[in-house]
Amino acid sequence: MTLDVDTRKADNGVSVVAPTGRLDVTGAPALKDAIGELIRGGQERVVIDMEGVSFVDSMGLGSVIAALKQIRNRQGELRLAAPNQQVRVVLELTTLDRVFPYYATVEEALTGL
Amino acid sequence: MGTEHFDFKATFNDLDDGLEVLHRSVDRLRRATGRDADDRSLLLFETALGEIGTNVLTHGSRVRSARPVEYSLRLAGDQVVASLTDSGPPVDEQLAREMPGRDTEDGRGLAIARSLLDELGYERDGDLNRWRLVKRL
Repeated sequence: MTLDVDTRKADNGVSVVAPTGRLDVTGAPALKDAIGELIRGGQERVVIDMEGVSFVDSMGLGSVIAALKQIRNRQGELRLAAPNQQVRVVLELTTLDRVFPYYATVEEALTGL
Repeated sequence: MGTEHFDFKATFNDLDDGLEVLHRSVDRLRRATGRDADDRSLLLFETALGEIGTNVLTHGSRVRSARPVEYSLRLAGDQVVASLTDSGPPVDEQLAREMPGRDTEDGRGLAIARSLLDELGYERDGDLNRWRLVKRL
């Protein structure tokens, strides 16, 4: 299964990246590519809309950590929106919920960003 | 919940196909036991299975003479038990790893699996790695 990644720009200028499928070892490169492209284009405020992500593994999580590091290096901000239960469990287990602020909806994530 | 019969077997070589089979098998188990998509025990089990499966399919397949990975998933009373057998190199060193720090991008897979399962068995049997994953439902 490949991961489809859509990117759009919200009204406040923040980029919203929406992957659909499994964000795992096979899907992670697609997310890395999409976020890398945004960063090269000067986008430093990004929301990842996780609603379409059915499952995340440690490699998928690694791609989000890589994105977070790149964006924070540029004084930007990355937020996660609408993670499902499995994603939340993995974030909590790895204590990464302490470095990723996650929000119930994309709209909430966009507020104040 | 302990009386259902469920027995799934498959072999695979390829990472994409293998992961698809692993997730499909858990979906079948979910349906067979009447559990919904948010059932926490099965979600945790599936997460661990994905990590071990990825490890087996990425490290094992580097060996040129790799034979197909043998996989089975079954119910034993109130426990779900998965077995994976691969012909990759031994993994004792990786198994000993702790959960890495928060800014590390990789190396979490086996630590995640270990913490989510009731039992993660591993033995080296000749040229084979034999994995056993157990989770109480």
